[in-house]
Amino acid sequence: MRRLPRGRATAVPRPARALVRSGLLLAAASAVIFLCTAALPGDAADVLGGRAAPEDVARLRAEHGLDRAPHVRYLDWLSGMLTGEPGVSLITGRPVAELIAQRAPVTLFLAMAALAVSVPLMAALAWAAVRGPRRLRPVVNAVVVAGAALPQAVVVAALVASLSAAWRLFPPVSMLPAGVPPWQRPDLLALPVLSLALPTAAYGTVLLRGAVADVVARPYVRDAELRGLRPVTVLLRYVLPVVAAPATRLLAVVLGGLVAGTAVAETMFGVAGLGELLVTAVATRDVPVVQAVALLAAAVVVAGMLAADLVAPSADPRTGLKAAGS
Amino acid sequence: MSPGERGLTVRGLTVADSTGTAIVDGLDLRIAPGEVVALVGPSGAGKTTVLRAVLGALQEGLSRTAGRVEWHGSPVRAPRRWRRRNVGFLGQDPASALHPLLDARAAVEEALPGAARRAGAAERALAGVGLDPADIGRRRPHQLSGGQAQRVALARALAANPELLVLDEPTSALDGAALDLALELVRRRRGDGRSLTLLVSHDMGVVSELADHVVRLGVRPRDRQDRGRNGATGRRPGGAPVPVARARDAGRPPNIDSAPPPEEPGVVRPSGAALAVRGLAVAQPPGGAPLLAGVDLHLAPGGSVAVLGPSGCGKSTLLRALAGLHPVESGNVTVLGEALPWAVAERDPAALRALALVGQDPLDALNPARRVATAVARPLRTLRGLTRSAARAEALRLLAAVGLEPGLGRRYPGALSGGQRRRVALARALAGGPALLLADEITAALDPRTADLILDLIDGLRRDTGLAVLMVTHDTAVAARADRVLHIAGRRPHPTSFRDDERRRSVDAP
Amino acid sequence: MTVVRRSGVLILAAATGAVLLAALGGEALTGGDPVRTATTSWAGPAPGLPLGADGLGRDVLARVLAGGRDLTLISLAAAGTATLLGVAGGLWTGWSRGRSARAVAASADLLLALPLLLVALLAVVAVPGPAAVIVGTVLGGTPLTLRVVADATAGAGRTGYVEAALSRGERAPAVLLREVLPAHAALVGADFGQRLVLAVQLTAALNVLGFGPPPPAPDWAAMLRENLQGLGLNPAAAIAPALALTVLSGAVAALSHALSSRGGGS
Repeated sequence: MRRLPRGRATAVPRPARALVRSGLLLAAASAVIFLCTAALPGDAADVLGGRAAPEDVARLRAEHGLDRAPHVRYLDWLSGMLTGEPGVSLITGRPVAELIAQRAPVTLFLAMAALAVSVPLMAALAWAAVRGPRRLRPVVNAVVVAGAALPQAVVVAALVASLSAAWRLFPPVSMLPAGVPPWQRPDLLALPVLSLALPTAAYGTVLLRGAVADVVARPYVRDAELRGLRPVTVLLRYVLPVVAAPATRLLAVVLGGLVAGTAVAETMFGVAGLGELLVTAVATRDVPVVQAVALLAAAVVVAGMLAADLVAPSADPRTGLKAAGS
Repeated sequence: MSPGERGLTVRGLTVADSTGTAIVDGLDLRIAPGEVVALVGPSGAGKTTVLRAVLGALQEGLSRTAGRVEWHGSPVRAPRRWRRRNVGFLGQDPASALHPLLDARAAVEEALPGAARRAGAAERALAGVGLDPADIGRRRPHQLSGGQAQRVALARALAANPELLVLDEPTSALDGAALDLALELVRRRRGDGRSLTLLVSHDMGVVSELADHVVRLGVRPRDRQDRGRNGATGRRPGGAPVPVARARDAGRPPNIDSAPPPEEPGVVRPSGAALAVRGLAVAQPPGGAPLLAGVDLHLAPGGSVAVLGPSGCGKSTLLRALAGLHPVESGNVTVLGEALPWAVAERDPAALRALALVGQDPLDALNPARRVATAVARPLRTLRGLTRSAARAEALRLLAAVGLEPGLGRRYPGALSGGQRRRVALARALAGGPALLLADEITAALDPRTADLILDLIDGLRRDTGLAVLMVTHDTAVAARADRVLHIAGRRPHPTSFRDDERRRSVDAP
Repeated sequence: MTVVRRSGVLILAAATGAVLLAALGGEALTGGDPVRTATTSWAGPAPGLPLGADGLGRDVLARVLAGGRDLTLISLAAAGTATLLGVAGGLWTGWSRGRSARAVAASADLLLALPLLLVALLAVVAVPGPAAVIVGTVLGGTPLTLRVVADATAGAGRTGYVEAALSRGERAPAVLLREVLPAHAALVGADFGQRLVLAVQLTAALNVLGFGPPPPAPDWAAMLRENLQGLGLNPAAAIAPALALTVLSGAVAALSHALSSRGGGS
């Protein structure tokens, strides 16, 4: 059955609409974060209170402003977040901003390195799945589908078992010595980066190959091949510019999974980054830390989507025209 | 045909699909310099496959198993580079063959070597097809009209003055002006002692005027009726044969011809008209722009009316409105003398039984997840209240009545041919014992033989049971079977009206 | 949808069913006690202990056989909830195409922006691990199901078989349940498979991070983390649960893939 080319596949909101959408997204994300951490039963006062007398718990609540109406607390919290005052950790008593600043570099390095590994891998795999040698295609598809289905912990175990235990290329644990910036010890972080990059690449390929197959089947690509253009020309001039828009958006989705994935990678490899901080804070119900780190992660994801929305229109003649003409 | 000859020589070309079945079998083709050769044949005969095999760019799953393609006496070794250097190609849908992000000039320049680009050859090529390079040259495809885009593609095919020019179905691919231009350019190439032109067409008029030689491809014995929607294109004027036996007065538009409803003694008819519609107005979307207005229709039991008109004129919407699926702006309808509410939700069981709709597309007429007998049994249970076993027996009887073996009842629609699916849909529509059948393009995408079988079946039902039929079609041969033909002219946003002479006929004058 | 491919899907479905059954009922296959200390820590394979022991000297085979039940049950519940909600919402939004339906679809799209694991981690603050998996899968998975089913339903609304059913007076619920849903059974099945894979990944992630069943209880994901440090002494202790997780998610993903390439033809 022939697939008809979809005319509005790359319809894109204008920059202003993208901004509004991002604002809505961030508001929704912050509401979900607040709802999960503060408005539901079992708040921090219970943890703090532990075996304390009810009046002490009540005093604690009042101290932390937990006795006010939820929406007041939400707005209060949000304004604190936006002004860069996320409060202090309930467990360690240290300012949350300081904790985050201390751990952000490692996580940033992990995420960037994982992105740098997975994006070319994704592109190559998607191309191989759609246009590779015919015998190779089902193999690539199977590997990619299976890879995208694996729990991240299994990938970690496989990496440790092969690259660390069997071939002794990298250490199984990645504790950075204090004060050493991450880029000075890439050997320590190679396994965490791979454990993030490989599932991301597989998942991204599953999404990307559909977009590539869609573009490759379009009549002007077929026509270009019939006219005898070089395959490289067809790829660079006919496929890439058109696939760029959906691919950018897809990258934003993939980025979300990657950001969340740092929690597992950092915890299993003992990297003291933001993901590990979030997991520890969740385990100890250190609500201010959880809220701040989660909101930061959501902001990164939303920013990625906004960037995708802003970059993508340039690949679409119609919206490009609209933006210029009206 | 010595190997040293100049021109294009194709010998014993055989193309097979992945199962080894030959799609093209031992084709010979020879184009000498200055010649125009036409490749003709009905749709489904493999014209496009031959073309791609000659160009060395077969679709995936097909492969050349025998034969050779020679260019100026030596085999073509690197087909891609050969195409790039020597071939100009204009495909079946040239407008959609343009890169959406490149402007017209860049599109044409792509076909040129660097030196020619700098010398302004692209501008000359655009001017050569009657387009202003300064204006059109800077536009992208979405800023061009369909005809302009076709000319840009034509300019691109001709820009490098290719030795071999390949035109795939130009008569259906190009609009009138662009086609004239293309044919004029082909005429100029003909006899110049250098250029070769390969023309794929089903239009014998063009072919016989232009071509030095004609290569005919027959329909392969393996039936192509299930090649989906392509079948419909086989019925274009001048294309594949229309069912000749049925095309009465083939030269004359059949709509003028209006035989009175046949007299059928012995069949007891319910009194009154099977269908009477007065002042029907329909908008698309509902409440929006008027699509049909002032439609009056009268249909006696056993009668048949065909509705003709261009696509998008509201033919199908008329049927859907009668079936209660499309909201109606105004008008009223009676079936068997009983007034009928428009919305299907308000109709009583008797009214639901009286009308039956058969949809347009044989591919989705039946639910792919339901066995054939189950699909036919469902209306027997809901409309006629039969028990499960009685409905099952009756469903098999209905299937037999439309000429299907009982064994087919256990199959899923995916295992049926297009004609079989049509018949099942017909059996399902007949299950409620309708007085009026609303049939939408009931023969579209069927080969002529199967189409005739279905139409014969419906004519038999009209004779034997007094079934009245309102049939939407674009096929004059189908319309020729009807007692009357209604033309819907015009398009949105103007309200459509029936042509005057027709209207007089169709109105049941009080 | 040839006979060959149909039977291929059936074989895959049977295999996946067997894997799920083994994960759920594996405990019954072993005489060993998954929480009792049977021998020295990291003891290698021995008679009676085919996969050796873990760091606390517990029978690895018994733990692997018992360690999939809760994880699979939770994942099934989470994926089932997400698919059920998504199918119901998708049928409704795709069919009615009204303003409220569009609003539901838009807000569902909004939810997609949040990474699943992040949502589940947040939910762990408020509710126990299994419930957090369900919350994460529903928030992250339902919008996808809803969109897929809504598209399919909107497409089906224009088909001949739906129009025929409507024109003979069938009501919307009957048309949706009798015509639209069966026609897209493969699509819904494939979608459920994808949700199940997501739920397994999510459960495994939460359990690895220590939000799963409390320590002595066997669990594939927790075993993975505990036994990774004993890789040099008894590799089977880490490889066996990793393999079990791989087979489970791989089988479901393969079946889902086969179903979606079948349903995607229309």
